[in-house]
Amino acid sequence: MSAQNQNFQNSAMRQLYNLANTENRLTLGGYGEVNFNGYNGKSNQIDVKRLVLLFAYKFDDRVQFVTEVEYEHVKEVYVEQAFLNYAINTNVNIRAGLMLVPMGIINEYHEATTFNGVERPSLDGKIIPTTWREIGIGVSGKSNELSFRYQLYAMNGFVSFNEGYVLRGTDGLRKGRQKGAESVNSDINLSAKIEYYGLPNIRFGLAAYMGKTQTTEIDNPATQVGLTMLGADYRYIKGRFSSRGQWAQSSLKDVAAYNAAGNTDLGSQMGGYYLEAAYNLLPLTNRQRLDFFVRYEDFDTHKKTEGTLEDNAEFHRKETTIGFSYHIAPGAVFKADYQHKKTAAPIDAVAQFNVGVGFFF
Amino acid sequence: MKIFSFSALWLSTSLALASVFVLPLSQKAEKEINKTFDVTQTTLNLVLTQDYEGIGHEHFFRVLHEEKLLGYAYFGEAPSKTDTFEYLVVFDVNFKVKKTKVLVYKEDYGGEIGSKRWLKQFTDKSPENRFEYRQNIAAISGATISVKSMTEAMNNLMISLDSWRNNGDPHKI
Repeated sequence: MSAQNQNFQNSAMRQLYNLANTENRLTLGGYGEVNFNGYNGKSNQIDVKRLVLLFAYKFDDRVQFVTEVEYEHVKEVYVEQAFLNYAINTNVNIRAGLMLVPMGIINEYHEATTFNGVERPSLDGKIIPTTWREIGIGVSGKSNELSFRYQLYAMNGFVSFNEGYVLRGTDGLRKGRQKGAESVNSDINLSAKIEYYGLPNIRFGLAAYMGKTQTTEIDNPATQVGLTMLGADYRYIKGRFSSRGQWAQSSLKDVAAYNAAGNTDLGSQMGGYYLEAAYNLLPLTNRQRLDFFVRYEDFDTHKKTEGTLEDNAEFHRKETTIGFSYHIAPGAVFKADYQHKKTAAPIDAVAQFNVGVGFFF
Repeated sequence: MKIFSFSALWLSTSLALASVFVLPLSQKAEKEINKTFDVTQTTLNLVLTQDYEGIGHEHFFRVLHEEKLLGYAYFGEAPSKTDTFEYLVVFDVNFKVKKTKVLVYKEDYGGEIGSKRWLKQFTDKSPENRFEYRQNIAAISGATISVKSMTEAMNNLMISLDSWRNNGDPHKI
């Protein structure tokens, strides 16, 4: 379809439905979660974990600005997304600004009502460091003929050295997120994801991210590592049953030199998976939904180590979460779950009890 | 009964909306309707003279080919995550759904509802049928808002059409 054709279609339709009013240009929304985490042997925590306000403004039928302003723990303010979307036609958009990295499920779909568990899957913190967002530019779109969605962006990457060594073994790349705030940039990274929704009830995703980390010492190669992250995921919903799963793995280069220079313990490969199944205990005719779910996670931020660095078995986590998501109305959920967290190290497993409320409008 | 050509229809609609511009016809909508009935040209005329229980009279058309009634077409609008989208429902003469098509989807999120496979779930359904998310209409992960929106819009359309058919003769208006 030509751009001209697309334009006239939109304007024709807009006239037909009298949509050309300015009142509809601004969309407001929000989501958030308030959580209680109960621990064994230490004090509990109660937290307004996040409150996110969504603003979207439509300049015309092709150009839209989307932003999410996030309050974390009440007092920390972040801009989670801030990008312009320019729809060239129905299948191709140019997108630029602060964007979510398309990797896994939760990083892009993380509103509390869209996932089970008071807390996000731990893999989506330690391996895929949600909410992972950086500044970049690229294309996104879909083909409803072929039932696939695609995203391809050139983005800024994790910072590995910012007047000091940043990355470490326990949570891999997480501390390297720059979140678009006065970001260090020395190398461009590439991020891509394709999703297939051509089969009934199920959706598949495949993602890749590659590049080098960012450094403030561009002449010192021991301050950077190479990174390739791959991810695969599925989401299945049929009737009262739903299931999802995710696999992600990062392979890092030049880690031995980085660890030696920074006296750090970054793994050279990290990854793992989770599988989750849920069943709605209420009839489908009920407006409310009570999902009982079980999730199992197995991931390791020291899947491989380089040089003299010893594998830390405590970084190999195996976690089981079992609980309920009680959707009292579309967009409002009460959650409760129990987590059993153990590691490959010969230390006792820990238990955690969580309760939370979530909303999305 | 006044018969409009498709292009004249847009003109009259735009005049009705107090626009001073002559609008070109929606080639995409026309193409879809023609393709659905396997003809090269159709004319549309308004079915209703005033709105009926959520059916906007300017959205609802008879589809004719050489003055023979082929079926009906309904142009609807429903909300997506941060915008609205426009869709077309084509019915046969007995109001059985022949085709559902998302004509214009203006944002990236939720565009999966334009999937032919997903929209086929509405095909062959009649105004007596009801649509319920996750009951007889499949979910699409990642497009929940638009899926629910389209399902609700189709359900409301069927309820209104059912009521209208039971309260009057659709072929006489």
